[in-house]
Parts: sequence; C-alpha cells; structure tokens
Amino acid sequence: MDPRQDAQDRGGYVMERKKILLVDDSSTVRLMERMILARQPYDLVEARDGQEGVEKARAEKPDLILMDVVMPRMTGFEACKKLREADETKAIPVIMVTTRGELDSVETGYAAGCSDYVTKPISGIELLTKIRSCLGE
Amino acid sequence: MSDGIRPTQPEPFAAAIAATAAAGRHGRDLQSVNERLRNLISSLRTEQTRLEEWRTSPTATPPAATPPPPPAAPPPAAPPGSSDQDRRRLEAELALAHEAAAHAREERERLRAQLSELEQENRRLCDQFVETQEQVLELAQRFVALSRLNGARDRTEGLEVVQEVVINLIGSEELAVFAREEGALTLLHTFGVSADRAGRLAGASGALARAAREGEPFVASGDAAAPGEEDLTACIPLRCGAQVVGVIAVFRLLGHKPGLSASDHAVFDLLADHAGAALRLSKPARAA
Repeated sequence: MDPRQDAQDRGGYVMERKKILLVDDSSTVRLMERMILARQPYDLVEARDGQEGVEKARAEKPDLILMDVVMPRMTGFEACKKLREADETKAIPVIMVTTRGELDSVETGYAAGCSDYVTKPISGIELLTKIRSCLGE
Repeated sequence: MSDGIRPTQPEPFAAAIAATAAAGRHGRDLQSVNERLRNLISSLRTEQTRLEEWRTSPTATPPAATPPPPPAAPPPAAPPGSSDQDRRRLEAELALAHEAAAHAREERERLRAQLSELEQENRRLCDQFVETQEQVLELAQRFVALSRLNGARDRTEGLEVVQEVVINLIGSEELAVFAREEGALTLLHTFGVSADRAGRLAGASGALARAAREGEPFVASGDAAAPGEEDLTACIPLRCGAQVVGVIAVFRLLGHKPGLSASDHAVFDLLADHAGAALRLSKPARAA
C-alpha cells in the first residue's frame, strides 16, 4: 500500500514532495547530496554539467536547483544566468554549491541570480536548512 | 460628716446642733441648685425659641450663638452582631486570598523549574540532533568514498576518485598522489599544485617519505614545519595489504575550512585502506 495514500485515507497531512535538481560534474558530490537528502520528502533529478542542468530544469520544472560552480561545457554561474533569462525557469531558487567560499565568488553567484550558496565540503545540516528556507518550509 | 461638728460639745446637744446646721446647709445647697436649674432651663427655652424662629425663616441669618450643625448621621445601625460576622467573613476571605497567592507563587516556581528543565532538554536534544547529523554525515562520507573507490575500473579513474574525495569530502584543492615502487616515490598525479612543487616533497627525509616508510599518516600539527613542507596538511600512506604502495599529499585546506575534523581523519583512514588497493588492482586490469 502506498504510505502517502494510506496517510491521506486516515485523514493525515501528507507533505507535498518537492523536486530538486542536482547539477554537478562530480559523481562523488551528487552521491553525497543524495545521501544527505535521502529520507527527505524530495524527488531528486541529476545533471552532470551546467548545460544539461539548464535543459533538465526546463524539462523537469524542479522546485529547487543545487548547482555546482566549476563544471565543463557551462559553469554554474552561466547556467544560473540562463535560468534567470527564461520565463519558465526564472523563479526556480538556485543554491550554488562551491568550494570557493571567498566573497568575490559569493558576489558573482548572487549577481548571476542565485538564491543562496553552500560551501564544500557540504554540511548536511546547513544544506537541509538552506533548502528548506528556499522552499519556504 | 464632721463639718461644723464641735467635738467638745456634749453628745445630745451637739448632735442636735449639728443636725440643724446640716439641714440648713443642705437647704441652701438645694436652693442654689434649684436656682441654677431654673436659669439653665430659662436659657434653654430662650435658645430653643431662637432656633425655631431661624428654622421657620430660611432667609434669616442664623443666630450668632447657634452651635454648629451636628455631624452627619451615621448609617443605619447594622443588626446586632453583623459587624463581627462581616469581620470574620473578611478575615476568612483574606486568608483564602493569601492561600491562593501562596499557591500561585508555588505554581509559578514549579512552572519556572519545569520550563528550565524543558529548555535544558531542548538544548540536549538539539546537541544530540547535531551530533547524530554529524555521525550520519560521517557515515555518508565513508559510504560515498568507499563506493566510489570500489567502483574505479583503472588507475586513471582511481586517481580521479581520490581527487574528488580530497576536494569534496576533505576540503582541499591542492593535492598530489605518489606511487611507491621498490622504496622510491614517483609522482602520479597533481591537482592545484605544480609537479615541481609536489616533486620537491619526495625527498628521503621529508614527511612524505616517512609516511611511506612507516605506513603511518602524517598530519601537520601547527608546529614549525620542515622547509618546503609549510603548506602540507597531511600525508596519507596508501596500503595494499601490509605493503605501502603510494602516498597522498594534501596541501592547503580551503579558506573557509578551519582545520581537520574527526570525520576527515576517518576519510583518511578509509583512503589509506582502500585507495591503494584501487590503484594497485586496477593497474593490471587496464593492461590486460
């Protein structure tokens, strides 16, 4: 039996599952993000570079995007700008995942239109807190 | 009784004289009293007449000799004994109020203590939650590192995995990987540092060679480093069974990372135990 349907049948509240797009060229990072977000009410979709991330964002209409900065074909900043230019994706919150915690990198990210950022190595609590904040949970 | 009595007189005569004198004096006293009463009554009647005249004529000025009006009449007298009952009732109510106030104070103190306990419990649970999350993250890091290392199909992929683990799980974008063959260290791969800079570490007396020789990781302690090793954070020997087959040199950590944590040491241990095997075992597979 579907646990969500079962909960609804019992009159309980079921949190709507949100969709998150993970964009990173590193399989290690994507796996780590999957591990952190496991058992959370999120459906996860993956992309391996910025360009694929933009395409997946248009196709999947995720509720939030976790975007790496340094990637082949298209960087995270470029992908974020592309997303902000398109009507269908401009409202999707983007959290940049960067190894560069310095101020200039953060400023560049915000100028590109990102909503927030986290630094690598990823802290599980920090990532979950920022995701929930961006999703208004 | 002895007034006017002359003790020297004979008894019967003296008593008669004394009784006559007393009677006369009493009579004069009574007359005086009567006179004064009559005067008083006359004066009262006069005063009464004047008061009645003043009352019947409101416009008339009050007589000069009129005394001030009497004070306001007291409220109707309570039934006999009611003031005592009221007092007892009020005392009982006051006692009840005191009791209620004392109870409220006790309740407030109890609630304060309970709130304090709940705050402590909340803090304890928060700390426990954070600790659990850190343990979960550490386990996740181990799982990810192990999964990626075991999934490497050849040396190139193994080196990529080592690099990803160091960058994304340890938090350093400067590393070098050396192979150890017949006691000599050979540079295999670098990221974020030049080959020259990495190669200078391979001297026989440095921390890198010591880690390779002894099979024990080197972690910079913050004490004065040897020349050329100022930026070195850690050297991790890569074991394959009892043999050390390589070493990973980790240079500077990312700027926002304050230092190595327990989970970083756990990842170092995991790299030491599994990265060497991944590099060694994958080599003949690609050659084949």
